[in-house]
Amino acid sequence: MNLVKSNCENCPVHNIDNLVKLGINMEHFDYVVALCGNPNTGKSTVFNALTGLRQHTGNWPGKTVVRAEGGFEYNEHKYKLVDLPGTYSLLSTSTDEEVARNFILFGQPDVTVIVVDATRLERNLNLVLQVLEITDRIIVCLNLIDEAKRNGIEIDERALSKELGVPVIPTAARQKEGIPNLLEYIDEVATGKYRCKPKRIKNKNPKLRKAVEVLSNEVLKIYPNLPNADWVALRLLEGDEDIIDAVKSGELGKLKKLGAVESTQEIILK
Amino acid sequence: MNPVESLIIFSLIVASLTVIFLPRKGLLAKWKHTIRSTERVLIEDALKHLYDREYNQLGCTLQSIAGNLEINSDKATNLVERLEKLGLINSKDGKLSLTPKGRSYALRVIRVHRLWEKYLSEKTGVPEIDWHDKAEWKEHELTPEQADDLAASIGNPLFDPHGDPIPTSDGRIPRKEGVPLSSLKEGNAARIIHIEDEPKAVYAQLLALDLHLGSQIIMIENTRERIKFESDGDEKVLAPIFAANVTVKLFERKTDVQKNFITLSNLKVGEKGTVLKISNALRGQERRRLMDFGIVPGAEIAVEMKSPSGDPTAYLIRDAIIAFRKNQSDHIFIKK
Amino acid sequence: MTNRNQILELANKFRWGLGGNLHDALMESIFKEASDIAHKVVITKNEKGAFSFDKKLDKIVTNRWTGFPIMFILLAIVFWLTVQGANYPSNVLSNLLVGELPHILKNFALSINLPHWVAGLFIDGGYLAMAWVISVMLPPMAIFFPLFTLLEDFGYLPRVAFNMDNLFRKAGAHGKQALTMSMGFGCNAAGVVAARIIDSPRERLIAIITNNFSLCNGRWPTQILIATIFIGGLVPAQIAGLVSAGAVVGVAVFGVFLSLVTSWGLSRTVLKGEASTFNLELPPYRPPRILQTLYTSLMDRTLIVLWRAVVFAFPAGLVIWLISNLTVGDVSLADYFINWTNPFALFIGLNGIILLAYVVAIPANEIVIPTILMLTVVHFGLTGVGAGAGVMFDTSSIDATKQLLEVGGWTVLTGVNLMIFTLLHNPCSTTLFTIYKETGSLKWTVFSAIYPIIMGFTLCFLVAQVWRIF
Ligand SMILES: Nc1nc2c(ncn2[C@@H]2O[C@H](COP(=O)(O)OP(=O)(O)OP(=O)(O)O)[C@@H](O)[C@H]2O)c(=O)[nH]1
Ligand SMILES: [Mg+2]
Repeated sequence: MNLVKSNCENCPVHNIDNLVKLGINMEHFDYVVALCGNPNTGKSTVFNALTGLRQHTGNWPGKTVVRAEGGFEYNEHKYKLVDLPGTYSLLSTSTDEEVARNFILFGQPDVTVIVVDATRLERNLNLVLQVLEITDRIIVCLNLIDEAKRNGIEIDERALSKELGVPVIPTAARQKEGIPNLLEYIDEVATGKYRCKPKRIKNKNPKLRKAVEVLSNEVLKIYPNLPNADWVALRLLEGDEDIIDAVKSGELGKLKKLGAVESTQEIILK
Repeated sequence: MNPVESLIIFSLIVASLTVIFLPRKGLLAKWKHTIRSTERVLIEDALKHLYDREYNQLGCTLQSIAGNLEINSDKATNLVERLEKLGLINSKDGKLSLTPKGRSYALRVIRVHRLWEKYLSEKTGVPEIDWHDKAEWKEHELTPEQADDLAASIGNPLFDPHGDPIPTSDGRIPRKEGVPLSSLKEGNAARIIHIEDEPKAVYAQLLALDLHLGSQIIMIENTRERIKFESDGDEKVLAPIFAANVTVKLFERKTDVQKNFITLSNLKVGEKGTVLKISNALRGQERRRLMDFGIVPGAEIAVEMKSPSGDPTAYLIRDAIIAFRKNQSDHIFIKK
Repeated sequence: MTNRNQILELANKFRWGLGGNLHDALMESIFKEASDIAHKVVITKNEKGAFSFDKKLDKIVTNRWTGFPIMFILLAIVFWLTVQGANYPSNVLSNLLVGELPHILKNFALSINLPHWVAGLFIDGGYLAMAWVISVMLPPMAIFFPLFTLLEDFGYLPRVAFNMDNLFRKAGAHGKQALTMSMGFGCNAAGVVAARIIDSPRERLIAIITNNFSLCNGRWPTQILIATIFIGGLVPAQIAGLVSAGAVVGVAVFGVFLSLVTSWGLSRTVLKGEASTFNLELPPYRPPRILQTLYTSLMDRTLIVLWRAVVFAFPAGLVIWLISNLTVGDVSLADYFINWTNPFALFIGLNGIILLAYVVAIPANEIVIPTILMLTVVHFGLTGVGAGAGVMFDTSSIDATKQLLEVGGWTVLTGVNLMIFTLLHNPCSTTLFTIYKETGSLKWTVFSAIYPIIMGFTLCFLVAQVWRIF
């Protein structure tokens, strides 16, 4: 399968040469980009490709357990890139996923890149659909496309993009294939040139729909700028400890307990 | 010192440390147990008992308090006097009843008890049979504020793990629902909504039968001697008095009844099935994690391989290979 | 404040009407959607062929009969390569760094008229400790970890966890503890942090407390050196390498065994509870990019060893020099401590020098061996090998080291007990701090520090007594 070529392959701005890997230098960044996804899908590999750092990678779920940050510059914008531990879900309140969940929910990244394993798409879509509910600046990075190809799995990424309403970029991060394309879309989504129209699942249960509506109106009264009040309402109805906590302490919608960042020294010298 | 001598001294030291620190039977554990019965504990236990009798519409007397708290009748008399003085109970012709103040106190204690049971069931590996005893300790320790924090930290649950409603912090509690299992007629289909955890011996028996909230019951035979029923596809037999400790709710529609299911652990390597449901025996994080993997009703699942000792087993679910233990696959129901 | 609480109240009221199974229903609808989308966009060409190689390989490495043998053989091969391969570069490095360079530095110091004590403190103390650590640590680490990383990138580790889970379950622990232990082979602090992948708090705590039983980076070289001298010395030279590698594997496996026993003990007493869950995704095997992995991992390790040598070994060297040169009355601080602890230490088959070395090595285990050697020279007033108090000297060959230790009164028992004690003592200060950060509990941090020491003393004591009986 051919990787999708950016529609403007030869334009000077859309060139990998415009990427400056800034390593641990994250001063004066313009945008924050979060890398999330199921465990072992290649988030740290993408992170390394973009920042030039050597965040540890390994072929088992759970290699990364602490948030790591790095920087890169593309098209004269400076980005701070955040590599998160893998998560299966945002709904499960399990402690091992706390760091990633908190950053996605409360870290307010400008762009959220969801790294997806192309050979296990269905399972990975679970997280994608959940993230689509809470933010609308999303890029799906369809990674491990080489492995999918080797195993005779082909994915119609245009159709997928249409289904989800967000850009879908096939990559093979280890071979650095598709990274230029990914950069280009990060830039477009961050600057607002590309507008995502994320798919949201409709609740079928009328009682639930009503409850969500009433509750999210109440939530919006207190936090008028919340982008995802419906989702917060739903989580309250489900009894999500973190969200209850956030409402109780008034920290909802603020940066909060994001956990310590792995010091740069640790990234280099682990 | 000669090596043999020192070895002997060493074993003596180890032996005496064991005697002191042994859990349950050690000297330290026994000492802790005896300093436990304080006045607060007695008062709160008495209120709980009164509340319980009221909730089940039974009368309460001095004797029943003495019996329940395992104290002699002199002590019980003192206790009741003290409760009256505190304005927590009224007594009329030997019949005791709670004052509104007493009732709300009792509900607060019950709230902590049930919250703690819920906490143990969701967040710890404490075995089911020990939940009640641990909660009996804890209920006397927390302040109302701490109880609220505890509730928030486990997502303000509505029910405790036995299916009892947890009173809200302002002391409201919904009415009882359902009927005892022993009252079902042959052919009736129902779902378990409550399993009583006292007395402990009966509860242990119910646990041994692997009955859980949400289990589907179909009555096969209900006579005075024994009750035979199908629970989640397995045939079980209980004595009627035991069965009275299980509360069920009849299905409203015929279509709610599921037929012919087996557990995932019954599949052999290479076989396939479709998930029907996850038993409520799998709770909290453990249950949610399985669902994160895509184990939800309707999912296809195939057995991929077993580890050298036969447990855990790896399954193919939505193109991913996921391994988990038999005590989990025992509680996932599938259709071949 | 009231407003916020009102929202929660409202939510609670709705929940009573909605019933408890919201989460189940929600997940079901999400997966329904996911599977609809996947069916529309995924085209599978060769249904049969997908991951067929993986399946075959998995059948072998998780097989009832071949699973465990393969695990041990792989471990043994890695160690054998490490023990054999580290010898030569170690000698070259130590000839250079410990043998030649100090003379040059000393002469240079003389030529610029540096005060005697300054030269002593920085060259004989700081520099030599650092040089020693580099020459002992670097070669084995630079061989062992790249090999291990290859296994990791291939995808073998999760299979180990899968195979071992049954043992861990019986011990009341989590199969993923196998993974955190593997990380602990690199660095216990990293292993403790890695325990975050274990989602039940009880099992996670167990994994954190027992991680110290995984021999870390800083302790491998000690094991390898002592095994080579004392265990390898017992057998003919041709098989010495194999036997020493076997002894090191033995200690490592013994560590795994102890961590199972400890987990078992903890989960039956203070951390009582049922072994709860285990769930692990087994990723596909991925052919590692061998050259690149070897290269990056080698660079990584080299950097780490060098960095730690500068940060930990250099200051430790200063301390060693100071305690052997500062005197109270006529006795140096070091001798004072050694004489004070010797009766107890000798009784349990160690010696005061070893205990002192472990006190100095609290920040980092790497410096144990250099400290022991240096203190032995000073304490026994050996001349000809060193050049004064607090001087590390040229022990560029293993034989010289052996002779030196024998002069210090070492026997095979001391060697064996040092290997035991290297496995069983308090974690280094970084690890302890990490334990504190991860558990947030002073109690468990203290426990994690004290428990292995007690265990180490007890075991050394038992071995010594039994040894003396025979
Ligand atoms: N063949 C191939 N392998 C890849 C690709 N991307 C990553 N990998 C490998 O996949 C494995 C996992 O990569 P990581 O970057 O550690 O994955 P992660 O998402 O950070 O994993 P966690 O931190 O555990 O959540 C590593 O062995 C990588 O070398 C790719 O595009 N193709
Ligand atoms: Mg990672």
